[in-house]
Amino acid sequence: MSSSNFLSNLRASLIADASVVINLNATARAAEIIKAVQIPFIATENACTELEAGVRNGHGDYARLLELIDAGHIRRARLGATGMPVYESLIDGSTARTLDDGEAATIAYAQETGGVALIDERKARSLCAKSFPGLVVACTAELLMHDAVAAVLGTQGQADALANALSGARMRVPAEHLAKVRIMIGPERAALCGSLPRAMREPV
Amino acid sequence: MSGERLTDTEIGERLRLARESAKLTQAEAAALVGVVRTTLVAIEQGKRRVHIDELQKLASAYRTSANALLRREAVHLDMVPRFRKLHESSDDAVERATRLLNDLVRAEVELENALGVNRTRNYPPERPILPGDIRAQAEQDAQELRDWLGLGPGPVTDIVSILDLQLGVRVYVRPLDGKVSGLFAYDDTAGACILLNANHPPERQTQSGAHETAHFISTRREPEVLTEDERFTSREERYANAFQRAFITPARTVRQQFAEITAGQSHLTRRHIILLAHASGVSREAMVRRLEELKLAREGTWDWFVANGGISDDQARQVLGDLPDRKVNAARALGLVPPRLALLAREAWKKEIYSEGQLARLLQLNRHEIREILDGAEKEESEANELVKLPQ
Repeated sequence: MSSSNFLSNLRASLIADASVVINLNATARAAEIIKAVQIPFIATENACTELEAGVRNGHGDYARLLELIDAGHIRRARLGATGMPVYESLIDGSTARTLDDGEAATIAYAQETGGVALIDERKARSLCAKSFPGLVVACTAELLMHDAVAAVLGTQGQADALANALSGARMRVPAEHLAKVRIMIGPERAALCGSLPRAMREPV
Repeated sequence: MSGERLTDTEIGERLRLARESAKLTQAEAAALVGVVRTTLVAIEQGKRRVHIDELQKLASAYRTSANALLRREAVHLDMVPRFRKLHESSDDAVERATRLLNDLVRAEVELENALGVNRTRNYPPERPILPGDIRAQAEQDAQELRDWLGLGPGPVTDIVSILDLQLGVRVYVRPLDGKVSGLFAYDDTAGACILLNANHPPERQTQSGAHETAHFISTRREPEVLTEDERFTSREERYANAFQRAFITPARTVRQQFAEITAGQSHLTRRHIILLAHASGVSREAMVRRLEELKLAREGTWDWFVANGGISDDQARQVLGDLPDRKVNAARALGLVPPRLALLAREAWKKEIYSEGQLARLLQLNRHEIREILDGAEKEESEANELVKLPQ
């Protein structure tokens, strides 16, 4: 697994897990962010189904995803013949070595198409590092902190988007990006984000 | 990974349980997948391996995921709870409560297995209902259980802790439809499980808890569905009702308190009832009914009080003063899932045994909700001082 400079390969597409879609929705600027990176943005059928199931609990993420799909910002994709065995290997077996359908499909589709798996889940990222060392994996925080996003939203807008994802969707941030996230949103706002580790929420 | 995979028979059985839980017939499920019914039957019997695309469609129709059906450690239960309900309660409410209990137990057992946690059972011996006087048996069994638990003659102040900590029964207190008081279920894997209605006042929860305990004592392995309005109340249900009263208000204790409180007086008054009910932690009605049963009050006494203005909360306040609310089970009723289940989920996530998606599915929550439960879990351990390390 590699995550450095994940937007440098402009031919690659970004395959977003359901949790990433939720985070983007919480920024309130999902369409602008996706447009800013100028890379095809894809959600697998399984990830969409997972969000659709969340509708029963009164969350509007699926409706907003459909708006993004209708507007052409996100493309819905189905696993192909080469992705399916990868997907199957990730859902069938012991709990510790498997993932739920949406997470597994995101990785499988990225592996199948040579795209970037956009996934925040730490177990999924660990599994990718072990089983798919060549696969590029990135997280929502990296996407939001990218220069291309700052260019469109402005520095303040970018910080707001990050803070909104953290407070509105309880976005998870992998350890290596925590310090930068804190600097960008400022310690005052970091202190209010329950999804950040305690050390990141306390005054320096 | 081959040794980790389930056999076709195991997968078929899980698919059957999931379909039944989703209340779909084999024909309906077959139509959703686009196969004939006989194919679905063959899949459920393990005679034909389900294709991955079929599995995805079935998982979606059954409101679960392919991973939840395939992962080796997943626990699949089909508990038929013994429940009490009033006749107005819709079947939907009972159905929801039944499913909730099944889901809570399934998730807890799976997480315990994943974390290597063993729940200690300390079940009292079973007391099958014998021919003859039901009430006498219930009185005797209730007193025996009290003695076995070392409760003494005092009131039952926290039935949930007694069941949970002393007996090792899985007890959940969750908000349910008002008409559902409690559910009891027994499964060889999960053990005895009780669900109580958090929306009911503490006195009522105690009564329901004692009632379900009666089923646990007398007929724990015999699933049966009963309703309170049935013209013919079964012996099991009459036993449970009598056991409940005898367990919460033991005859000797009530007689003794009654004698002390009414000593030298000529009539049973509201003040007596308020004091007696308070001493046993039961409602005024439950106390009067018990006095009637023990022949300490004439039959029809409660009805007479009701016909003559009842016994109001204001009158109780005049006698007892302003007492703080008893909220013994409040913490258990809070949160999206019961507190112990939330702790197990956090630990399983921290150890990377389960992903966020797997936990959301297991606990029937969406991503927002599971994140609420997992918030702050990741760094707890590394930030904690050695001083607060748990002994191994």
